[in-house]
Amino acid sequence: MRTVKLTINGKPVIREIEDNRLLVEFLREDQKLTGTKESCGVGVCGACTVLLDGKPISSCLTLAVHADGGAITTIEGIAEGDRLHPLQEAFLAHGGLQCGICTPGQILAAKALLEANPHPTKAEIQHWMMGNLCRCTGYYKIVESIAVAAGAN
Amino acid sequence: MVAASLSNKAIGLPVRRVDGVAKVTGRTVYAGDVDLPGMIYGRCLRSPYPSARIVSIDTRRAAALPGVRAVLTGADVPDVRYGRMCKDVPILTKDVVRFVGDKLAAVAADSIETAEAALELIDVQYEELPAVFSAEDAVRPSAPIIHSETVEVFPNAAAGIHGELRMYPPIPNVISQLKVQHGDAASAFAGAYKIFEHRFAVPSIHQGYIEPHTCLVSIGADGVVDLWVANKGPHIARAHMAAATGIAEDRIRFNPVAIGGDFGGKGSLMDTLLCYCLARAAGRPVKMVMTSFEELTAANPRHSASVTLRTGVDRDARLLAIEARVIFNAGAYAGLVPVPTLHGGYAEVAGAYRVPNCAFEVLRVYTNTVPCGHMRAPGAPQVTFAVESHIDMIAHGMVLDPLEMRRRNAIAEGDLTPLGEKRRLLRCRETIDAGARAFGWDKPKPADIGRGISIFQHPPGNFGRSTVALTMGVDGRITIQVGSPDTGTGFHTIAAQLVAEHFGASVEEVDVVQGDTLVSGFEFGSSGQRLTTTIGQAIAAAADKMKQDLTALAAERLNCAPSDIQMGEDGSFAAAGATIDRRTLMGWAAARGKAPLSSQGENKPVPSDRTSFVAHFAEVAIDRETGQVRLRRIVTAHDIGTIVNPITHQGQIEGGLIQAVGQAMSERIALKDGAVITAHLGDYKLPTVMDIPELETVLLPGGGGAAPFSTTAIGEMSNVAVPAAITNAVFDAVGVRLVELPISAEKVLEGLSDGAGAA
Amino acid sequence: MIPFTYLEPSSLDEALTLLAERGADAKLIAGGTGLVNLMKQRLVRPEFVIGLRALKPLCGIVENGGIRIGALATIQALEASAAIRRQAPLLAAACGHVATVRVRSMATLGGAVAHADPNLDTPPALIALDAEIVAHSRRGERKIPADRFFTGYFETVLDPDEIVTEILVPEQPAGSGTAFLKFLPATRDDYATVSVAVRIALSTNGAITDARVALGAAATVPVRAKAVEAALTGKGADEKNFREAADLVREAIDPIADFRGSAEYKRKMAIVHVRRALSQALSEAKKLS
Repeated sequence: MRTVKLTINGKPVIREIEDNRLLVEFLREDQKLTGTKESCGVGVCGACTVLLDGKPISSCLTLAVHADGGAITTIEGIAEGDRLHPLQEAFLAHGGLQCGICTPGQILAAKALLEANPHPTKAEIQHWMMGNLCRCTGYYKIVESIAVAAGAN
Repeated sequence: MVAASLSNKAIGLPVRRVDGVAKVTGRTVYAGDVDLPGMIYGRCLRSPYPSARIVSIDTRRAAALPGVRAVLTGADVPDVRYGRMCKDVPILTKDVVRFVGDKLAAVAADSIETAEAALELIDVQYEELPAVFSAEDAVRPSAPIIHSETVEVFPNAAAGIHGELRMYPPIPNVISQLKVQHGDAASAFAGAYKIFEHRFAVPSIHQGYIEPHTCLVSIGADGVVDLWVANKGPHIARAHMAAATGIAEDRIRFNPVAIGGDFGGKGSLMDTLLCYCLARAAGRPVKMVMTSFEELTAANPRHSASVTLRTGVDRDARLLAIEARVIFNAGAYAGLVPVPTLHGGYAEVAGAYRVPNCAFEVLRVYTNTVPCGHMRAPGAPQVTFAVESHIDMIAHGMVLDPLEMRRRNAIAEGDLTPLGEKRRLLRCRETIDAGARAFGWDKPKPADIGRGISIFQHPPGNFGRSTVALTMGVDGRITIQVGSPDTGTGFHTIAAQLVAEHFGASVEEVDVVQGDTLVSGFEFGSSGQRLTTTIGQAIAAAADKMKQDLTALAAERLNCAPSDIQMGEDGSFAAAGATIDRRTLMGWAAARGKAPLSSQGENKPVPSDRTSFVAHFAEVAIDRETGQVRLRRIVTAHDIGTIVNPITHQGQIEGGLIQAVGQAMSERIALKDGAVITAHLGDYKLPTVMDIPELETVLLPGGGGAAPFSTTAIGEMSNVAVPAAITNAVFDAVGVRLVELPISAEKVLEGLSDGAGAA
Repeated sequence: MIPFTYLEPSSLDEALTLLAERGADAKLIAGGTGLVNLMKQRLVRPEFVIGLRALKPLCGIVENGGIRIGALATIQALEASAAIRRQAPLLAAACGHVATVRVRSMATLGGAVAHADPNLDTPPALIALDAEIVAHSRRGERKIPADRFFTGYFETVLDPDEIVTEILVPEQPAGSGTAFLKFLPATRDDYATVSVAVRIALSTNGAITDARVALGAAATVPVRAKAVEAALTGKGADEKNFREAADLVREAIDPIADFRGSAEYKRKMAIVHVRRALSQALSEAKKLS
């Protein structure tokens, strides 16, 4: 057991956790932030994507202790009150989501992209987003949504 | 009946999904997100052998592990068989295991780690038995029999199937044998100018939904069973659960949850009955989530198939007769499929063509492999890959341009389908032509670039019962209650738009609620691209009744006869110069105790003579040194009726098409000695955003559709025929004919080395 | 997840001490994308997991003639590093091909070499760059050339009490051109069917003075194809020589048949991609001169 101190969506969190706790379990079960999903378990699908100090990571392959001292952003943290993030607006307006299970990961990965590269080309969007799988949309509208959000910046 | 003209306040608008804000903010609740006090976790012990006798199971060490609340084997659960048509699925298997992954024991414990540690403490003695893995081997007289027991089949097995259906005929391991025919194929073959015969093989693939199968069962102190299950048809699930457990349906409540993708794979109870047994044994709510490994090795993937086609043509390459022999490998259990044989295996064979004579035989066969289920247009991708490759091979054999081959043989108005059905408003050739034009079929192309075409016909589903309940509140807002989840197709949004349209309202004035199974009416759920049609009918019926009530209220308010009332496109009511809008009318009614209003409606599942066509055009570039196939662009042309929501409609086209690209280019469930070895996403390769081609969609509006708004269906149109368009393009590029999926660079290179290949 | 005790030393000395004490019961973790996956699948079950992330001095990328890469530098940091792009673009290219953006955020170069998965993209690049891997233990420090570091499937020369602390990339031959190719015939997020990293240095008359050819996903270890290098050295940099030399890679590798292809197909693809990489490296060299 050890105590971790971190922020989640800007809020300070201090918790005692098991050494072997995975970050995805810590978020979903301990913090009740179920927006982050678990699917493939091997870091391929991206459904478990969260941001650690602004960088996209696979929370299913990260020990919760590795978030100690860091700032975690989950999907619950990117709107500002009732004001949706431009990515959330764009995904809604342009059909970037269908069943919604991959959507939190897609949006967080895209958020990190636009922070690193505010005006990515279509090829750059595809390269960055390659690790976030979607089975419903065929990806076209995800790319479009991200491009629109980039344009809106 | 309601006027068919559109107010355009709702239908045709690209409105945002009604569940969209929750999904983009992470607030949507899927079954795995539900947390109950005292909840514990269930895990299963699965057979490592494809076929074995269970000599003994000793669970004592597992039961003694601290934190374990229940351990069950086949002896501890009701000895019932579950099945959606054929009841052959035990809750936990007893006596024998029939595939690698067959569940024979289960544990519920305080944590998943404890449950998994307990599984390792269960001692099982197996005696291996002969196993059979291919359907061809399984029907031989010497094959081991996988189900020696008599399997109970639902009495309506043959409903809606034309032809001769035999369930469990006296052929080893055959679940169903279907023979359908039309005309006189034998004579037609005798008179044919040329006969072509080819054989094709399509492996199994996974639906690929990102949310794994999940169930949570909680038994209340009053005995009512509450469930949260990733299942697309909760009313049907409830009925099956009641039958298997003896619990009355009104003591079972499937609570509404969102579904993270279905594509046909979440229609069965999967682990639900077992989860219930664990919850009962442990006295605690139990959650079971399939791991990705379990999903990929032991869920209910698409059937693999071998398809042999034999076609006779006249000297102008017109199709005279088609004979098809389709063998589906169903795996170890039949019960995960709600029909006796796969619809696409017979109903859609060469359905886009005019073929006066046909004879099809379809077998569905047990093997000691993972039991298969339904997946988007069940049976159709396997058969259509064969048909569209075969037609292409005939075209080349007859020295005819493949596009012209399709045009010449396309079913046209007045033709019967190959099975002798009458369909109207057939726009097959128009769809082909529109796609070919957009694609530039005849434009010059560089070396090592190839182009291929495929076509497909598939009617909207119009089966199964859909019911809705409408409520109009005192403020004029309308609520529609439906009985099944939106699996991602946009069903709830479509429902809201249809409701809004009926009342001249905007979608913002409509709320969609999915009720649990105790409060909501029956909904068959998403299947066979049926929902827009069936929910449209149910909504129309309910709206009609409510409009009668509204008209009566308006007449009372405006002091006239109901027959004097005119309902405007904006939903207002007028008579003799006076007008009242819906909101004001409801306020007035409320003051007199006459509001809210409610009504119910259901669909009329009658066979329809409508159908839809799609034509795909694919362009590939081949790297001759490596065999790599680069998918450059696809044009997909669709004949359609009224589109309710252009964004969700296009989303269905794009999503289905990329699923087909996956089937063509990279996906397969690979087996070794009966075990699935593509057991994680590092080895089972789903398409990524970098694997998609340039895509152009061509829509031909104005096709016929279902009343009242002439809507058609799109969910299963674009995921079926694409693989053949791609393999046809590969042949066009380098002369290598692939008769198996998926395409691989190595197979193409082998084909090139074998001498095919003169460009 | 299997149970374990997590230890997080705050200095290299402390880490080395812990490792020496726990020995076979301990595993090191850097970014974790390798180890956490193995533990989740129960393929390794260490009693102790020693986390290195607090060892900030091991994160640096410092130019010093060549480049000193701290073992904890992330793949993403390397891909973006101006120093790496300038001095060792081959490594930046390989890093850009690694897995997904999430893996690149967390995985480290030191972790990659210690993990020794033969499918990884960075080891062949390190071999082609003549990199050395620096390992520390309480017994001292040693430098191991990259082409001698990997000994088997997920195996290296590292002793159980050693930690990779740095990867040293020497100054590259002036005017050399490099290329990294990763052959992905199925989906773009797959492991390579074969990967190739090459470096050629040219004399003023266009002859190859120095060649490095390394392959990944071609055996149980990343392979340095010395026979191919020898066949190139002293020869003119042209397609004919590239083709003849590339053919020799067939004997240098020992591919494993898997979902990505049969052994024979992988051999053929290695030949094709070595040749293509050499052509690309030549173009790079010409651009720089």
